[in-house]
Amino acid sequence: MRILAHLAVLLAALSVSAPAAWSLDKPTGPVILTVKGKLATPNVGETAQFDLAMLEKLAGRTGKMKTPWTEGETEFSGPLVRSVLTAAGAQGNTLLVRAINDYFATVPAEDALKHETILATRANGKLMSVRDKGPLFLIYPFDLEPGLYNEAYFSRSVWQIKEIEVKP
Amino acid sequence: MAQTLFSGDVIRKASRITAILQIFAVVLLAILVSVYVDISTRQRDMRDAVRENAMWSVYQLNRESGELVHDLQLMLSSGNLGEDRLQGLSLRYDVVFSRMDMLKKAQFEKNFAIDVQVGKHLNQIQKIIFESQPVFDAIAAGQPVSLEELQGLDGQWSRLVDSTSELLVYTNTFVSSERAKARIELEGLQRKSIVLIGLLVLSVAFLILTLQRQLRSVQAAGVSLEAMAEQLSVSYQAAEAGNRAKSQFMATMGHEIRTPLNAILGMVELLELGRLSAETSAHIRTIRRSGEALLDIINEILDYAKIEHGKLELERRPVDLQALAETCTDMMRGRAAEAGNTVTLEIAGEWHARTVLSDPTRLRQVILNFISNGVKFTQGGRVTLRMSQTRRKGGLWLRVEVQDTGIGIDEEGKAKLFQPFSQVDASISRRYGGTGLGLIICKEIIDRFGGSVGVDSTVGEGSTFWFDMPIEATEAVTSQQGEKGNAPLVALRRLRILVAEDNKVNQQVILGYLDHLGQDATLAENGALAVERAAAEPFDLILMDMQMPVMDGIEATRQVRAGGGPCRDVPVVALTANASEEDRRLCLEAGMTGFQAKPIGIAVLHRLIREVERELGDDAGLVSAAPPAAVSRPQVAAPPATPVVSAAPVTTPSVAATVSARRQEIAEILGEDGFQELLDAFFEDAVDILAGLHAMLASGERHKLDPLLHNLKGSASNIGLMDISDLSQALRHSDPSPADIDLLAQMVNAARQSLAAQDQTVAA
Repeated sequence: MRILAHLAVLLAALSVSAPAAWSLDKPTGPVILTVKGKLATPNVGETAQFDLAMLEKLAGRTGKMKTPWTEGETEFSGPLVRSVLTAAGAQGNTLLVRAINDYFATVPAEDALKHETILATRANGKLMSVRDKGPLFLIYPFDLEPGLYNEAYFSRSVWQIKEIEVKP
Repeated sequence: MAQTLFSGDVIRKASRITAILQIFAVVLLAILVSVYVDISTRQRDMRDAVRENAMWSVYQLNRESGELVHDLQLMLSSGNLGEDRLQGLSLRYDVVFSRMDMLKKAQFEKNFAIDVQVGKHLNQIQKIIFESQPVFDAIAAGQPVSLEELQGLDGQWSRLVDSTSELLVYTNTFVSSERAKARIELEGLQRKSIVLIGLLVLSVAFLILTLQRQLRSVQAAGVSLEAMAEQLSVSYQAAEAGNRAKSQFMATMGHEIRTPLNAILGMVELLELGRLSAETSAHIRTIRRSGEALLDIINEILDYAKIEHGKLELERRPVDLQALAETCTDMMRGRAAEAGNTVTLEIAGEWHARTVLSDPTRLRQVILNFISNGVKFTQGGRVTLRMSQTRRKGGLWLRVEVQDTGIGIDEEGKAKLFQPFSQVDASISRRYGGTGLGLIICKEIIDRFGGSVGVDSTVGEGSTFWFDMPIEATEAVTSQQGEKGNAPLVALRRLRILVAEDNKVNQQVILGYLDHLGQDATLAENGALAVERAAAEPFDLILMDMQMPVMDGIEATRQVRAGGGPCRDVPVVALTANASEEDRRLCLEAGMTGFQAKPIGIAVLHRLIREVERELGDDAGLVSAAPPAAVSRPQVAAPPATPVVSAAPVTTPSVAATVSARRQEIAEILGEDGFQELLDAFFEDAVDILAGLHAMLASGERHKLDPLLHNLKGSASNIGLMDISDLSQALRHSDPSPADIDLLAQMVNAARQSLAAQDQTVAA
């Protein structure tokens, strides 16, 4: 419930400062992410759809870190999950993050709010292909919070993401 | 004794246990450290063990491979090779590709990546996937793909599914065995932990046990220490009592020795006043010197006893340093001259403060000791007293140096100098005498002043004894004549003086002195008698011995003060050989006005009388300033404490002064010897005349008095004894009483002593 309130507040704040967010642009390029669930600002039917350009315009971060899936340190960059959710006007407590192969993980919305979690579009500055776990990879800020570096968060680090479903 | 042994045993035991405890604590600490290291190593391993799940990844690869084959077979069976389907297949391939790639690159459980079987399987899987790559690259590029090509893929991919299944099974086995290994390891760790914890528990238990034992032994030690302390306290009290007895004995002995010694010295001084042959005079001088030396030694020993018992007390009163220095050098000059030495005084620079707050007696004692040492160890040389003042450490410091040109002291000697009972060597002691306490007393005194004492010396060249002490400047006081011991004795008014003294010889000495000073002295042989006499008649001054039979001086003074008789407010000066600060306090409390340590010299007595005289004089001045009616009845007008002297002449002209004027006259004509003969004759005659006068008075033949008085008047005026002459003349015209004749006799006696004293000074 608290998270819901958080998201609501976030939305309220945005509604005052940026009324443009009420009308999410329609994607012009290939859609790489679809957000489903209870949304305040859907752009295609009941869903919010994003192309690469739309995602890369959102507030994001770049972090250089070690992960169990890469050799050496890798620099990941991409929009913050919470800015994606805000853009979609999403309201809920749980995120079902689904991959191309229909694999999914349940991620608490808290992870997006409390941590600088991103949907990485690039590794070492290059767009990621499907063979390289692209197009989107949920990356926790292991560089900022070493405490996150454990199996619980590894299992939530979904790659080849195509869809996020917001659940109450 | 048994208890002491027991407590020692307990303490030794306790310290042994403490040692064991310490060793144990160290061992415990080592164990703790090793446990910690082990735990932190495990911790690091745990952190390293945070890896991706290999089983899950292999399963995913196997599943995705199955999906890929399934999709392909669907396509082949339906024969639909549409763009959408091809793209879907291509995506499936990409997913499989990424899974395979991940298995190659990701970090899995320990040993998984380096396992040979895993590597072999992975290589095979990779090979199959790479073989299909050109077909999918073509699809991605939008090129058409033939059915045959896809059918070729089906065969390869069936192998892929088999391979990934095999890897899945192998991984399961591998992970299971790894898990078993890890469990065994964990169990080992648990066992190790249990052992460590057991050891820890054991250590702590032992620690508690030993602490308990130690506590017990400490308690025992405490009890025995308490007993020891009690024993010690008893012993200390016994020792302290002994010490007190010793101190008392020392004080008593000091008194007992000093009293007869004072008597000896006093009598010698009186003897020296008389006319003596050169030989006798020399003998007498030797007696006096020896007596004085003995007195010095006794004083030193008493001082040392005081220092040893921490009873050395310092006074604080204004001291004129210049005057003090001059007095010291003056006092030592005579003795120095005997050894052919000269004593000089040097004051370096200006005085910052000439008058300071200090203890003049102790300061003089130290300086005199230094000079006296210098004089003692120097022959035909020079002893210099040097004084200077400096400002440092925010205060004023006095430095006093006594430099001699004597034998000097070697290094070894210097080390011994300030040690009690030590002289530089035994031969010194034989040659120069002394207690060897002088310097240690000086050191103690200067220590008490907060200063330091030292000596610089070169053998054969001389020594410089010095001390440095902080001083406190004070206002200069109006000069007290009493400080100047050697001031010429001014003629005194005749006062009535009550002397309370029990010692026969001391009586003689003091009475002799007072007589010499032309005073009207009355003797009381103890305190009770003194109180009686003081109640009966007025006196101008009371000299009170402290220790007397029947009633002591303090009690007597108290009674005189409380009695309200004519002597209620008369000055009472204490005389005693017991010169302690405590005595001084007691004297003042009892109402005494002054305090004089024995031996009392003639100069001191003179000063005391002068002081009383001055006070009386002031009062007399007040009286004379009063209306004439008051003067006509002086007995009423004068305060009871200051009875007016009416019978005796108000001032006695100085005997010495008038005689010396006459002497010059006569000596010019008859020569010095002639004058001396005249004097001798006069005194011989005077004795006869005075005896005659008494006899005439006793027999009532008053008419025979006049010729005798006339005779005396003539011969007295002849040699310049004007007071005797005048009194004789006055008596011729009155009716003389025996007391009058006595007064005349006293005056004659006084003149004789005064002249004898003058001769002594001339001879010296």
